[in-house]
Amino acid sequence: MIEAIAFYSMAAVALLGALLVVSLRNTVHSSLALGLSLAGVAGIFANLGADFLFAGQLLIYVGGIAIIIVFVVMLLGRTSDLHLRQVNQQWGAALLVCAMTGVSLWRLARGYLGVRAAAPAAPTTRAIGLLMLGDYAVPFELVTLVLVAALLGAIFFSRKSADGEVPS
Amino acid sequence: MSLGHYLLLGAALFIIGLFGALTRRNVIGILMSIELMFNAANINLAACNSYLHPAGVAGMTLAVFVITVAAAEVVVGLALVLAVYRNSATAYVEDFSLLKG
Amino acid sequence: MLQHVYLIPLIPLAASLLILLGAKEDPRSPMPFLGIAATGWCLLQSIAIFYGAATGALSLPYAADWSWFTFGATAGGKPFLYDMPVGVLIDGSAAVMLVVVTLVSFLVQVYSLSYMRGDPRFKRYYAYLSFFTASMLGLVVSSNLLVTFCCWELVGFSSYILIGFWFERPEPPYAAKKAFITTKLGDLGLYLALLLIFCQVGSFQIPQIREYVARGFMPAAAATAIGLGILCGAAGKSAQFPLFIWLPDAMEGPTPVSALIHAATMVAAGIYLVAKCYFIFAVSPVAMETVAWTGAITALLAATMAVVSYDIKRVLAFSTVSQLGFMMCALGSWGFSAGLFHLTTHAAFKALLFLCAGSVIHAVHTNDMRQMGNLDKKMPITFFATLAGTFAIAGIPGFSGFFSKDMILEKVFEHDPRLFTILAVSACLTAFYMFRLVFMTFLGQERDMDRYLHAHESPWPMTVPLFVLMALAAFSGWLLDRGEFFTRLVHFDALPGLAPAHEAAHAPAYLTWYVTAAVFFAIYLAYRLYGGSNFREAESIKRRCAPVFNLLERRYYLDEFFLALVGLSDQAARLAFWIDSEVVDRFFVDGWGLLMLALARLCHLFDDSIIDRSVDATGGLSVSLGGTLRWIVRRGLVQEYLLWSAAVMSVLTLLTLPAQRYCLGASVGLGLLAILTLLLVRRPR
Repeated sequence: MIEAIAFYSMAAVALLGALLVVSLRNTVHSSLALGLSLAGVAGIFANLGADFLFAGQLLIYVGGIAIIIVFVVMLLGRTSDLHLRQVNQQWGAALLVCAMTGVSLWRLARGYLGVRAAAPAAPTTRAIGLLMLGDYAVPFELVTLVLVAALLGAIFFSRKSADGEVPS
Repeated sequence: MSLGHYLLLGAALFIIGLFGALTRRNVIGILMSIELMFNAANINLAACNSYLHPAGVAGMTLAVFVITVAAAEVVVGLALVLAVYRNSATAYVEDFSLLKG
Repeated sequence: MLQHVYLIPLIPLAASLLILLGAKEDPRSPMPFLGIAATGWCLLQSIAIFYGAATGALSLPYAADWSWFTFGATAGGKPFLYDMPVGVLIDGSAAVMLVVVTLVSFLVQVYSLSYMRGDPRFKRYYAYLSFFTASMLGLVVSSNLLVTFCCWELVGFSSYILIGFWFERPEPPYAAKKAFITTKLGDLGLYLALLLIFCQVGSFQIPQIREYVARGFMPAAAATAIGLGILCGAAGKSAQFPLFIWLPDAMEGPTPVSALIHAATMVAAGIYLVAKCYFIFAVSPVAMETVAWTGAITALLAATMAVVSYDIKRVLAFSTVSQLGFMMCALGSWGFSAGLFHLTTHAAFKALLFLCAGSVIHAVHTNDMRQMGNLDKKMPITFFATLAGTFAIAGIPGFSGFFSKDMILEKVFEHDPRLFTILAVSACLTAFYMFRLVFMTFLGQERDMDRYLHAHESPWPMTVPLFVLMALAAFSGWLLDRGEFFTRLVHFDALPGLAPAHEAAHAPAYLTWYVTAAVFFAIYLAYRLYGGSNFREAESIKRRCAPVFNLLERRYYLDEFFLALVGLSDQAARLAFWIDSEVVDRFFVDGWGLLMLALARLCHLFDDSIIDRSVDATGGLSVSLGGTLRWIVRRGLVQEYLLWSAAVMSVLTLLTLPAQRYCLGASVGLGLLAILTLLLVRRPR
C-alpha cells in the first residue's frame, strides 16, 4: 500500500516533469521541469531501495546537471523567443515513431508484470564501492579519464583567446 | 509493485524523451530530452537489479557509470552549444545545415 | 616310298639354295649338275610312285600331316582349337602331275646346259629353275590349301625372276612385272575364296573340306562364291580370258623357261587347283558353267590371235592359252579325267614345241617367222620333232593330242553342244595356225639368205630332250588311253548323297570323224595359203579383212583395257588424296580451328559485354543507390537523420523482438506512413 502510493506519486512527478520538458515554450521553464523530473526519478530509486543511486541522482543530476542546464539556458535565451513554437515540423512522424516504439516496449514489459520482489532491500553503498574498486576497477578508471576529457573539452570550447576571438 | 511497472515507467520516460529529441527546436531542449532517455535507462537498470538479482549490485554500478557519462556528455555538449551560439547567434538546430548534401 | 614323298619338294629347294649360295658365278661351274641331279632324283621318285599307283602296289589316296601351328578361339562360348597342319595328299591326279612336272623340269634343265651356255648368270639360272621346281612340286603335293597358296605365290615369283632374267633389256622386266601383277589380280579372287573356305569349314585341309561338302553343309551360294574365286585365281595363273595378257609378253624370257613354266607346268597349276577343288564346283552349277564358258571363250579368242602372229614363240604362247581353254572347258563340262588327260599330253607336246622353237631361234637368231624358211634339211631332228608336236596338237589320229582332245570334245558335246561348236572351231584354228607355223618355218623358200646359211642343228643336250618328248608326244596318248587306264587312275569320285544330275546324251560315235575331217580341211587351207614360196593369197586376204586383222593383232585391245583400269585406280587414288587434303584437312581440321577461333571470340565478346558490363552495372547500382539515398540527407538537418534512425530502429524492434511478429503488417504499414509524413516535411519559416 505504502509502496504503491510511493511509486505512483514519484512516477507521476517524473512523467509530469518529462512532459513539461518536451512541451513548454519557455526553455527556462523547461529546464526547471527537467530538474523536477530528475527528482522524481530519484524518488523511484528510493522506492527500489537503491540508496546510493538515490543520493547520487539528487547530487549529480539535480544538483549538478540540471543547474548547469539552467545556467546555459539563461546564457542563451532571449526574451524575444518566448512566443515561438518549440516543437518542429516533424512532430507527427515523431509521434508515430514513438508510438511504434512504445508498442514494442509495452509488449516487452508486459511479461514482467507479475514479477515480485524477492527480498527486502539492503544498503548498497558499500557493495557498490567494493565492486567499483574490485571487479569494475578498469571501467572506473576509464570513466575518470572520460571526466577529465570532458573537463578539458568544456574548458577548451568555452574559453576566449587573448585577442578576443572565440574558438569554433 | 512488480518489475513490469518499473519497466513501463522507464519505457514511458524513454518515449517522452525520444519525442522531445525528435521535435525540440532548441539545442538545449534536445540535450534535456536525451537526459530523460538516460534516466529511463537508469530506472530500468536499477529495477532489474533489485527484482531479478537482489543479491548483487551490478546494475546499480552500471547506473552510476551511466550517470557519470551523462554528466560528461552534457558538459561537453553545453560547451559546444555555447561555442556555436557565439558564432551563429542562434540556438535553433534547424539553422545548422552544414551537413547538407 | 610314299613316306618320303615330302622330300620331293624339299630336295630341289635345298639344291636351289646350295647353287645360289654355294659357288661363284662361273660359266663352267659344276653347279647346274647339282640341279639336274636333284631334279633327276625327284623324277625317279615320281616315276616310282606313278608306277606303283598304276599297278596297284600303292594305295591312293595317300595323306600325311605334320603339325605346323594351332590356335584357339572361343565360338559360341566354348573354346575351339584350330589346327593348321602342313601335309601331303597324293591321289591319282597328284601322281600324274608329279611325273609331268619332274620330267619336263629335268628335260628343260638338260636342254639349258647347251642353250644357256655362255650366259653371265648361268649358275643363277639353275638356282631359279630348281626353286621353281620345288615350288611347283610343293603346290602339287600339298594337302593344306594355305600351303598350296603359298606355293602358288612362290611359283608366281619364280616366273617373275625367270621372265625378267635378261633384265639388261627393257622388255623383260616390263613383261615380268605385267605377269606378276596380272596373276596377282587373279590371286585376289583366290584369296577371298580361301577366306570363305575357312569361314565356312574352319579348316584348310582338302580332305576335311571334301568331307564337309560331302555331308551337305556347304550352302550353294558359298560354294558358288568359292568356286568363282578359285576360278579367278586359275584364270590369272592359267591365262584364261581376260587375264591372259601376260602370257604372250612372258615370251621375253629364255625359251627353256617358256617351255617349262609357260607351257607345261605353271600354267597348268590353275587347272590342277580347279581339279583339286572339284568337289566344290560339283555342288555349284553356276561356278561349273562359268568355268566351262570361260574356257571355251579363251580357247576361241586365243586361237584367233595366234593366226595373225609372226613371232614363233608368240604363236606357241597363244596356242598354250587356247589349249588351257580346252582344259578349263573340259573341267567345266564334267570332264574331269578329260581335262587332266589333256593337261598331261599338252605338257609333253607343248614343251616339245617350245624346245624346238628354241632350237630354231638358237640356229637363226631371230624369232620372226617371216625371216625363216626351208630349214627342214638344215635341222632335220628339230623338224621332225616339230612335226610330231604339231601332229599331236592338231589332233591327227594316233598321236597323243588326238586321244585327249577327242575325250574333251565328247564330254563337252554331252554337256552343251554350243560349247562343242566353239571348241571344234578352235580345234580347226589350232590345226591351221600350227601348220602355218611349220610351213613358214621349215618348208617353202628361205626368206633370209644370211640366216639360212648360218642355220645348223643343235648340239646333243638340246636334241636328246627333243627325242624323249617326241616319243611321248607320239605314243603317250595311245598308251594312257588303253583300257581306260588314265580314267581309272584319275577320276572324280562323285560325292555320296550329292549325285550330280549331269546325265546327258551320249555323243554320237561319228563325232570324232567329223572333227578330224574339219581338221584336215584346215590343214589343207594352211597349205594353200602358206605352203608356197610367197604368201600372195594370205596377204590379199589380210588386206581385205584389215579391220579384223587389226583387232586380232592388237589382242582385242585387252592390254589397253587393263592399262585404263590401272589409270582409273590411279585417278581414284588422286581423288582420295584430294579429298583428304582439301576436304578433310581444310574443311574439318582447319574449319574446326576456325570454329574454335570464332567460339573464342564469342566468349571474349560475352566476357567483355556481359560480364564486365554487369560488374560495371553493379558499381553503377551502388552509385545510383547512394545517390538516391542522398535524398535522405538533402537538407542537412540532424533531427531528420535522428528521425530516420529512430523510425528504422523502432521497426526493427517490432520485427525482431519475440512475440511481436504478428504486428509485422501493422509495423510495416506504420513505417510507410512515417516515411510518407517525412516526405511532407517542409522547412518552417
